[in-house]
Amino acid sequence: MSYRQQAQPYQQADGPARAPADESDDEEALVNEYREQTQYDEDGMVDLDRATSLGAASQQDIQAQLQAAATPLEFQATLDTKFASYDNYCSLFHFILNSDGPVDLEMPNYYWAWEVIDEFIYQFNSFCSYRQRVALRNENAEEIQLLRENPNTWGCYSVLNVLYSLIQRSAISEQLAAAKRGEDASLYAGEYGNRPLYKMLGYFSIIGLLRVHCLLGDFSLALKTLDDIELNNKKGMFARHTTAHITTYYYIGFSYMMMRRYADAIRMFSHILVYISRTKNFQKNSQFDTNAKTVDQMHVLIAISVAFQPTRLDDTIHTALREKYGEQFNRMQRGGPDSIPIFEELFRAACPKFISPTPPDFDNPEVNIDPVEHQVTIFMAEVRNNMWSPTVRSYLKLYTTMDLKKLAGFLEVEPEKLRHWLLVNKQRSRQVKWNGGGLLDGTVENLSDLDYAMEGDLIHISESKTGRRLVEWYLRNLQRTY
Amino acid sequence: MAPFDYAPDRPDNIDVILNGLDRYNPETTSVFQDYVMQQCENQTYDCYANLALLKLYQFNPHLTRDETITNILVKSLTVFPSPDFSLCLSLLPSHILSPLKTSHSNPAAGDAPLSEAVQKLFVLNNLLNGADYAAFWATLDSDDLYADLVADVAGFEELMRVRIAVTVSGVMREVDRGVLEGWLNCTGREFERFVSEVCQWKVEGNVVKVPLNKENEAKGTVVRENVKFDQFARVIKRAYEQPA
Repeated sequence: MSYRQQAQPYQQADGPARAPADESDDEEALVNEYREQTQYDEDGMVDLDRATSLGAASQQDIQAQLQAAATPLEFQATLDTKFASYDNYCSLFHFILNSDGPVDLEMPNYYWAWEVIDEFIYQFNSFCSYRQRVALRNENAEEIQLLRENPNTWGCYSVLNVLYSLIQRSAISEQLAAAKRGEDASLYAGEYGNRPLYKMLGYFSIIGLLRVHCLLGDFSLALKTLDDIELNNKKGMFARHTTAHITTYYYIGFSYMMMRRYADAIRMFSHILVYISRTKNFQKNSQFDTNAKTVDQMHVLIAISVAFQPTRLDDTIHTALREKYGEQFNRMQRGGPDSIPIFEELFRAACPKFISPTPPDFDNPEVNIDPVEHQVTIFMAEVRNNMWSPTVRSYLKLYTTMDLKKLAGFLEVEPEKLRHWLLVNKQRSRQVKWNGGGLLDGTVENLSDLDYAMEGDLIHISESKTGRRLVEWYLRNLQRTY
Repeated sequence: MAPFDYAPDRPDNIDVILNGLDRYNPETTSVFQDYVMQQCENQTYDCYANLALLKLYQFNPHLTRDETITNILVKSLTVFPSPDFSLCLSLLPSHILSPLKTSHSNPAAGDAPLSEAVQKLFVLNNLLNGADYAAFWATLDSDDLYADLVADVAGFEELMRVRIAVTVSGVMREVDRGVLEGWLNCTGREFERFVSEVCQWKVEGNVVKVPLNKENEAKGTVVRENVKFDQFARVIKRAYEQPA
């Protein structure tokens, strides 16, 4: 997971020397594949046409390697360890993907596939963040040298290549599409996809892609990636593993938020937070800390989203927010300049650890700004843009008609400024909202119960009210007559 | 509304690339670049394809073409207040918005001009999103660099006027002529032509009347309950069970 604590600053250790050159040839090739390859074969699969380094290994060794791939690196792992771990992943995935036909492997446990993809991406994430930080600080010459010499280690092309290859080998997209149509998925699975190993790796690679795209700041592609996955399907594979379930919703909700689809973000966060509060089943899990942290981050994100888009939350979520973030939640909802530092602090605490996919510019340390800062700047522009909306709404709620100049007087602002605020608030009350189809689908809707229009300086205000619910009352009384 | 990844004028070959792994193939960069140019010339727009190009630049910084990046950003301004501009920014290098150093203190950073351009456009985007249209036009006129940046986008000013008019029509039924002139940055006969011919609004003395539409009507609504036949199942069943 991306929210675990980052490794401590590198400490000089007598670790093993970097793997000799002949061993890293495989990875070099894997990395350069996209660049060098001029032709993709028909299904876009990459054929490395090379003997695998695992081919001759015994079953026992392979089992050990499978276990290792799903195990987190230790807290203070050195660069050498990180390089070695990358090499291990490369040879493992190379073995799985490019052997002669599907490999016959027993997964160490049912959720191994999720754990290995999770760990793979987590290590990619933390490596990129770490590399960027080393470059920005420009202190540790030895590490800089090592990183300069290995620009392709944990390269974005090789990480994406692994995920896309697993998806294609397993024909998981075709399988999911068939299941959606109500057909037998196994007919579309092919030689690889019928095996649990490939099927599950392929499935969780889709979730992995969602995450990688989001970490790279590509929010629309992140959502597009999930086109084949039915979120409402309670039997969906992602929903059976608590961490996978939580992670999926976190990244979907966050991507929606960055696309300013706050209502959809709230819907996603609410769904998973209510689910978790009902089941509480993750307490037993070994990944308790990670899950608890993500859940906490989602509370923060839902609070931010509600500040943008006032929404009545489920009682359990609302209570949790009041307990944990009562004061901050109130201040964000009130808006104005006072809310700005709160938004920034909370966003920083709850956003994913964004990464830059390419090696940093070691010659100009100062340009290697943490990508998190970049996304914070972009997000905060939107916060500033909206900061007067709560004020505007709170006043308009009190009237049915109002003169612009008079209201400007109450608020002690220039009438022209107020006119801008009114435009902004009205524009922002129209949001794209999902109502079926892929995650990127949706229609523009008025999501506010307050609406208004201006006739010159006169503001006409209207409210949408919920009508009386008569049917239940009628039926209840009808019962009594029997 | 169409999904975010849909564009009505997208050519088939672009669609194929976007839906396959070729979207990561550096060799498609030039195809996307040509497509951006095409969008600039034909006044069409395809955010999803442009994001794919920015992603190729993100993965292959040596292929980056500053001019294409700024063209994409300028195009995304023409669809404000959508999040497109921000979504494009999110894929640019992380230092692009950090404060610029005074001219030559940073000789090796070759894209200082790009940073400057992006930050200038960021200012425009913030003004537009803050609905401060008069300030948007004033800023656009304040620096020759802006003229260079928008030069490739055919009909930029007209596109912006139309877009501003659309946002105005969603909120206003009647607007002071002076205010609207400032927002659209045109006066006199040019203003009257735009308002009456392009927008189909009426100029009456000192006010401009915007015809009623779904958005500027602001009618109070009552959300009514949705009654389903099933709810009455028991009542109806009972009617059969106990004949009177």
